[in-house]
Amino acid sequence: MDVFAALGGGFGVALQPGNLLLAFIGCIVGTAIGVLPGIGPLNAIALLLPFCLALRLPPESALILLAAVYYGSGYGGRITAILLNMPGEPSAVLTTLDGHPLAKQGRGGAALAISGIGSFVGATLSVVAMTFLSVPLAKVAVAFSPADYVALIAFALSLLGAVSDGPAVKAWAAGCVGLLLAMVGVDSGTGVERFTLGSLELLGGIDFTVLAIGLFAIGEILLLIETKLRAEAAKLGGGEKLSLREVIHCVPTMLRATGIGFVIGVLPGAGASVASALSYTAEKRLNEAHGKFGQGDMRGVAAPETADNAAQIGNLVPMLSLGIPGSGTTAVLLGALLMYNITPGPLLFEQRPDVAWGLIASMYIGNAMLLLLNLPLVGIFARLLTVPAWVLYPGVLALSFAGVYAASNSAFDLLLAIGFGVLGWLFRKMEIPLVPIVLGFVLGRMLEDNLRRAMSLSDGDVWALLGSPVSIVLWVMTLAAVAWPMLRGLRRVAQPSRGV
Amino acid sequence: MIADRILGVVLMALGLVAAWSAMQLEVPFAADPLGPSPFPATVALVMALCGLGMVLRPVHGFSRPERLAAPPLLVLAMIGYALLMVPLGFMIASALMATVVALLFGARMAAAGVVGVTTAVALWLLFDKLLDLPLPKGILPL
Repeated sequence: MDVFAALGGGFGVALQPGNLLLAFIGCIVGTAIGVLPGIGPLNAIALLLPFCLALRLPPESALILLAAVYYGSGYGGRITAILLNMPGEPSAVLTTLDGHPLAKQGRGGAALAISGIGSFVGATLSVVAMTFLSVPLAKVAVAFSPADYVALIAFALSLLGAVSDGPAVKAWAAGCVGLLLAMVGVDSGTGVERFTLGSLELLGGIDFTVLAIGLFAIGEILLLIETKLRAEAAKLGGGEKLSLREVIHCVPTMLRATGIGFVIGVLPGAGASVASALSYTAEKRLNEAHGKFGQGDMRGVAAPETADNAAQIGNLVPMLSLGIPGSGTTAVLLGALLMYNITPGPLLFEQRPDVAWGLIASMYIGNAMLLLLNLPLVGIFARLLTVPAWVLYPGVLALSFAGVYAASNSAFDLLLAIGFGVLGWLFRKMEIPLVPIVLGFVLGRMLEDNLRRAMSLSDGDVWALLGSPVSIVLWVMTLAAVAWPMLRGLRRVAQPSRGV
Repeated sequence: MIADRILGVVLMALGLVAAWSAMQLEVPFAADPLGPSPFPATVALVMALCGLGMVLRPVHGFSRPERLAAPPLLVLAMIGYALLMVPLGFMIASALMATVVALLFGARMAAAGVVGVTTAVALWLLFDKLLDLPLPKGILPL
């Protein structure tokens, strides 16, 4: 079997001592940032990226580290959700519904254990699915023409509006901001300067780390500093331990949640938050008769946490196989690979099997490490919450700036990062989502390059964009994704009494 | 509501200016059939349309900060840091900045000073000694 040989090669990469250590560090960092409110995987990866570049880590090692932070964060978000009723990550909101009541009943430890097991089951089964799905998906995509790619990227961008919580125009506007930011600098196709405002520093374009650190790390601290932080002491609760019977009782729930999570994750646009919400609702409906959802049902903790981690892994599939990220964090991972001059996509598995399979193999190892880390050591991570804000955030901020400076050696980039920080803060205050900016930024160059290639192939005939069945289907889906939020808006106008 | 309208107008203005600026681009020699203009111009126009949508159907206002002075002060501290990092050096600039940020997050003066100095020294050791990534030394004899 091809897959097993390739996976074996991947384990050869992932089991190198250096890479094992990086995966371990990534798992610890990921869990820790999952616990800390205000710092998510996106900020953490943006912060670590300049380190990887400056240390000249090889691409597979960098990706192993960054991905471990990413899937590790899925284990951390539940801790605050259960103990403090405060989700550490947006996708852990649903975990509070049953997790916190359990903690109040003195079974916080048991709830943490079942959610840790759920996270492990969801993540590992999804990695198995990813192992077998990635190459077939990549094979389909190898046949994609540049015109098909234009349609695929347009579809991914149009979905931003359909899945966003707020008004679709805001998500699309943010996507356009990202696309335009990607255009800054010398155009690779024609050598013309665009949107540089005469600045020499901007000739080479905007650095991805500067944008990501500015928008997410600095912007988040601006948002945190304007409110007074209120944190209560965390209690684990010494009640009854989790029994094997309870775990077995949750197995069907975990399997269903894995399925929902993985499928939602693979679809572009929808992320872990949607997956955990869907699977919680599904379990609640299925077990309405004999469950106590909302008052502390173990399955109510297992379902969202399993789906959350399954979706995170699922999100990586289109990123690796198609080169199209499905979420903000995978967009940052894609940005990281692009900075290494590696273009994820259909050819990645053939040209750089060490990167693709090394990552997949490292995820089997990383998830096992996370399970071991999270079951006995959960108390240590919970203690992170007692670190006061005035110790934590000055350090995070100084680390952000040191990272930007180490990667670019330019004070101009520091100012640019501050500018993006203010922009991110203002946008958050006005409920404009930031993830579309990163997605637009990462996909912008790719979209224009493919458009350029398609136009060259057809000698400038615009209709060539609709030249294949694949592209026609994708454009129809794009139109539907654009029309759907508009129809939703019209219906809301027609029935104002039901407005949400 | 009013904030959405203002932002919508800003996005429309920016979109139109960006589209106009993209249209002005000229390629010195005949290159590919696409050229540098159409793609950014289209994106800018779509952004202007989104801005129009926000003007016509505003939803959100600007939520007022609980502590009005803190965000602008933090921005000033960061700008000062960016400008002073090279002349003063990473260590001194970071210590100053981290102290100010700790104060803004509600620390007492002495505690903020400790946080500032510890942060600066720890990061210096991490970057310069452990990871071998040079940071500006500035006026300290290191």
